[in-house]
Parts: sequence; structure tokens; C-alpha cells
Amino acid sequence: MQVISVDPSLLVQNLVNGVFTGLLYSLVALGLALIFGVMDIINFAHGDFVMVGAYLTYVIATTFMIEPSLTAFITMPIFFLLGIVIYKLIIEEVLGAEPLIQIAVTVGLLMVLRNLALMIFHAEPRGVPFTIFTQPIVIGPITIASSRLAAGIVSLVALWLIHVLLTKTKWGIAVRATADDREVAELMGINVKRVYAVTFGLGTALTALAAALIMTFSRADPYLGLLYGLLSWVIVAMGGLGGVIGVLFSGLIIGVIEALGITFVGAGARELFIYLTFFFVLWFRPRGLFGRR
Amino acid sequence: MPGTLSKKLALTKERLYSLVGLAIILALVPVFLGFNFYYVLLAADVMLAASLVAAWNIIGGYAGQLDLAASAYMALGAVVTGHLLANFGLTPWIGMFIGAGSAVAVAALVGYPTFRFGIKEVWYALLTSALVVIMMRIYYLIYGSFETYIPHMEPEWLYLTFRRYEVYYYMLAAMLVIIIWVNLKIKDSKLGYYLAAIREDELAAEALGIDVRRYKLYALMIYALLAGLVGGIYITLTGILSFRLFDPWLGIVVAVMGIVGGLGSISGAVLSAVILRSIEEYLRGTIGATYPGSHLLVYGLIIILVGVLKPEGLASFIDYFKKKITRRGEEVG
Repeated sequence: MQVISVDPSLLVQNLVNGVFTGLLYSLVALGLALIFGVMDIINFAHGDFVMVGAYLTYVIATTFMIEPSLTAFITMPIFFLLGIVIYKLIIEEVLGAEPLIQIAVTVGLLMVLRNLALMIFHAEPRGVPFTIFTQPIVIGPITIASSRLAAGIVSLVALWLIHVLLTKTKWGIAVRATADDREVAELMGINVKRVYAVTFGLGTALTALAAALIMTFSRADPYLGLLYGLLSWVIVAMGGLGGVIGVLFSGLIIGVIEALGITFVGAGARELFIYLTFFFVLWFRPRGLFGRR
Repeated sequence: MPGTLSKKLALTKERLYSLVGLAIILALVPVFLGFNFYYVLLAADVMLAASLVAAWNIIGGYAGQLDLAASAYMALGAVVTGHLLANFGLTPWIGMFIGAGSAVAVAALVGYPTFRFGIKEVWYALLTSALVVIMMRIYYLIYGSFETYIPHMEPEWLYLTFRRYEVYYYMLAAMLVIIIWVNLKIKDSKLGYYLAAIREDELAAEALGIDVRRYKLYALMIYALLAGLVGGIYITLTGILSFRLFDPWLGIVVAVMGIVGGLGSISGAVLSAVILRSIEEYLRGTIGATYPGSHLLVYGLIIILVGVLKPEGLASFIDYFKKKITRRGEEVG
């Protein structure tokens, strides 16, 4: 472990990459933040939805020869329905159950999803061999991969849309009311079960969008899930249920920390710094950095 | 009251008999397996899983903290023992305790602030899972992706480098019996009652004057000690030191086995580890060869079914049969 002196342009380059990656992380975590914040369900399988989404993107993109990022228009509705089906089959049964049981059940779901992928696609990573985002953008000494730029911008737009959905629409108000107090919301005539089902579907659909964006610069493999799952939980812990804004800034912080770790210590250290940050956030700011509750 | 005292004595006697019975059964397992290499290794693996789940029962079952770092403590015990043996020629008989000591030190270092700042439930689970990854990365930064192999050393008994698996099996089985004994000891002690109170209602326990942080930390340290010792034995079996020992997935599986077994029930925990690990290995041998991962898929389905249909876990089945047997006994008597 050695700290080396770093070329400033490399640092800026990595930081820019970190910001775009961070935006994407926020998008992945947003689905989990919605599910956990509204339904109080501890979902350990969230990262594995990203993984399944990545494979689905791969299959659709290579079968119909579509640009991978555009497959999101197909995979998101599919995932929305998949989320509702999983909610009805499994999640509804453990609503309000002990956290331990919820974790066990969603870990079971995670195992099913991961090993289904392993069964069908085997262990080797699958990538889509084509994308429109190939030309890098060069600004002075900094090179930005256009796929990462696109992923960052699309993530930002998606976060904004969800923010508007939650704050400006009638449905969003119902969701927030349910998150605040389920029983009172029920008394106000909100169909809580439906809010839950749609929230779970939406949270799952967001992972499909993130997966489509990931597939423009990365590959699908069965073990993708653990990374994105833990990462999403770290961001939710930092965001402290502070709504979309909290998730956005937490994702950016994680992206930047990752970039700094890669720059100063090496690629092997990126997870190390993310999880050390997680420890300190939990210890010293248990309500998150942007806490609401 | 003499009545309750004799009842308590009878209970411990009953427990002692069942422990001795278990030890005899475990001792005979290799004989039934015909000393077949593969089966004995498999049995050793089952003992490993059962030992970890039994150790986890102290923090997860008794104290009610969903710890996912069993593999971190196990791996730390393993790599300390292994590197002391491979690099310095120190016998695992001593190295094991240094390894377990390191695991306890890490547990105390992480556990103290964690309990001090009141990290609970899902956040505790995630923090412990992150601990495994952090330790894996630290090991990776020090040793890289290289694997260190422990060579065969003579005399075998001193360096625990046997060419057959039976000895390892017996060591892990002995470890399992010891860990179950520790579990039973804790259950009947002051610590056990405190932990039960903490698990049921932490605030109420605190209001009754229980030093919640201290007793949670004790439970964590005992668990880390036992897991570290198991790791020390395990590394003499595999002999391969690698960053892969710090496996976040194993930590999750140990906890899931404990939950499926039924929280706080030591017999349920051990039974669930034995059954789930055996099912997994059986499925791997049958369908897993043709469809990779299918054995874990079935395993996942079993966990979902148990969680949704029988959240009390296997322990409820055990209680059911116990009641049936005692009722039959009463009818006859």
C-alpha cells in the first residue's frame, strides 16, 4: 500500500469519471431508497435486479440488434411488472415481519435470481458488442467516455423525474403519506397495498434503466449483484431517507470517494474506501448526512 | 427452592447426556461413511458450517443482532494461523489462539463504537457485511491476489498437516461440540438472560439497568473467538491462504442458516446447517453438474419458503416433535 504523487490532470480525469459514476449509483440506489423508505422492507436482492436487468439488456440488444441504452424502453415495463409479481408472491407475505425474516427471504430471492443467471448464461461475462456511445469527448487533458457521460445525464434526468413525481403529483403525495404513517394514510382513503405494489414495481423498474446504461460501457456477470446491492445500501444509509436530493448527493460522494481511492491507492482499494466511509457515516451520522427522520 | 434446583440439575443432566450422545454419533460418522475420502471431507465441511452457525447463534440468536461477518472472523483466524505456520513455522496449536485473539480484537474494535452509537437491525447487518469486504481488501492490498500454500510438514501432529481428512473432521466435530456446550452455558448464565432481554426489547432491558452495550459486546467477542478458532482449524484442512477466504457471501449464508434454524435455538441452528449444507452438496452433485448454480437456486427457494411459511424456523418443528414424544410418554406412563 503506497501513496504515490499524482498527476493533477489524472486526478481531475478520475474525479470527472467519479461524478458520472456517482450519478449512476444514485439511480441504482433510488429504487432501494423508495422501497425501503415507503414500505420499510429490507431488500437484499436489489443489486441482483440490476444484474438481471443487465442480462435482459444483453439478450434484447443482441437479439434485435438495438442500441443497449434504448432497450430500457422495453426492459423497464417488464421490470415494473416483474416487481409487482415479486411483491405479490413474496414481499407482501413478509411486510411488517421481523427484519431478520425479511433479510432471509430477500437473500433467498437473491440466490434464486443470481443462480438463474448462472444457469442460463454460465459464469463468463456478457457484453453488448455495439453502442452509439463510442466517440470520447476530449476537453484539454481530460477525456470523457461518452457512454459514461450519457449514463450520468440520463440518471440525473431520471432522478429529477422521480423527484417531480414524488413532490408534485397526487400519487407522489399518497406515497409520501404512506411512508410517513401507514395507518393514517389508510384512513385518508389511500389504497396502501396498491401504493406498495406500485412502489416496488417502480423501484425495480429503475434498476432496469440503470442496467441498460451500465451495459453501454460494462458487461453483465452473475456476481454484479453483490456490489450494486451493498453500494445501494451505503447510499441509502448516507442519504438517510432524505428523499431524492439525499440520494443524489450521497451517490455523488460515493462516486468521488471511489475515484480518489482509485487515484491515490489503486483499483483494489475502491471498495475499501467506500465501506470505510460507510462505517464512519453510520457511527457518527446514523440518521444520514441529509436526514429527514 | 429445592424443587426448582433439582429440576435445573435434571435439565443440565439431560443436556449433558444429549451432548455426550451427539459426540458419540459424530465420532461414528466417518465409520458409517466407510472412511471414504470425499464423504469425510464433505462431513468436515458440514461440521464447519454447523460450527459457524452455532457460534453465530450467540450473537444472532441470543443477542438478536444480525451479524453477517462470521466469515470475517473465521478468515482472520485462518490467515493469522496460516501465515504464522507458513512464514514462521509456528504450530497451529498456538497460532490458532493468536488468530482467534486477533478476531476478538477486531470484534472489540468494531463492536465497541458500533454498539456505542446504537447501530441496530439492517444497519448492523450491512455494517458487518461491509466489514468482511473491508478486511478482504486490506488483505488484498498486503498480499495481492497471490495464494500462499501451507507445505506438508513433519511431525504431522505438531503442524496439523495430515494427508487424510479424518483428523480434520474430528477436530471440527470436537469444535462443534465445544461451541454447543458454550451456547448452553451462556443460555443458563446471567449473560444469557441479559441477552434474551436485549433481544426481546432493548429499551426495556436498558430501563431495567442492563448495560446493553457491554453485554452485546461480550456476545460479539465470544462469537468472534469461536469463529476464529474454527478458522484456525479450517486453514490446516485447506492449506490455501487467499483473500478469497474473506467471503461476504459465506457470512450471509451462515446468518441465513441460523435464521432458518429458528432464532436462539441451538438444536435448530445446528440442524439447519447440517440439512441445508447437505442438501446443497447433494444438489450440486446431482443437478449442479449439468446446470451450474441450480443447486443454489433450489436452496434459495427453500429459504424463501421457510421464511414465508414458517418464520419460526426449524426449531418449531423440533418443539412439535418434542411435545409429541413427551405427550406419548405421558400417555404410556
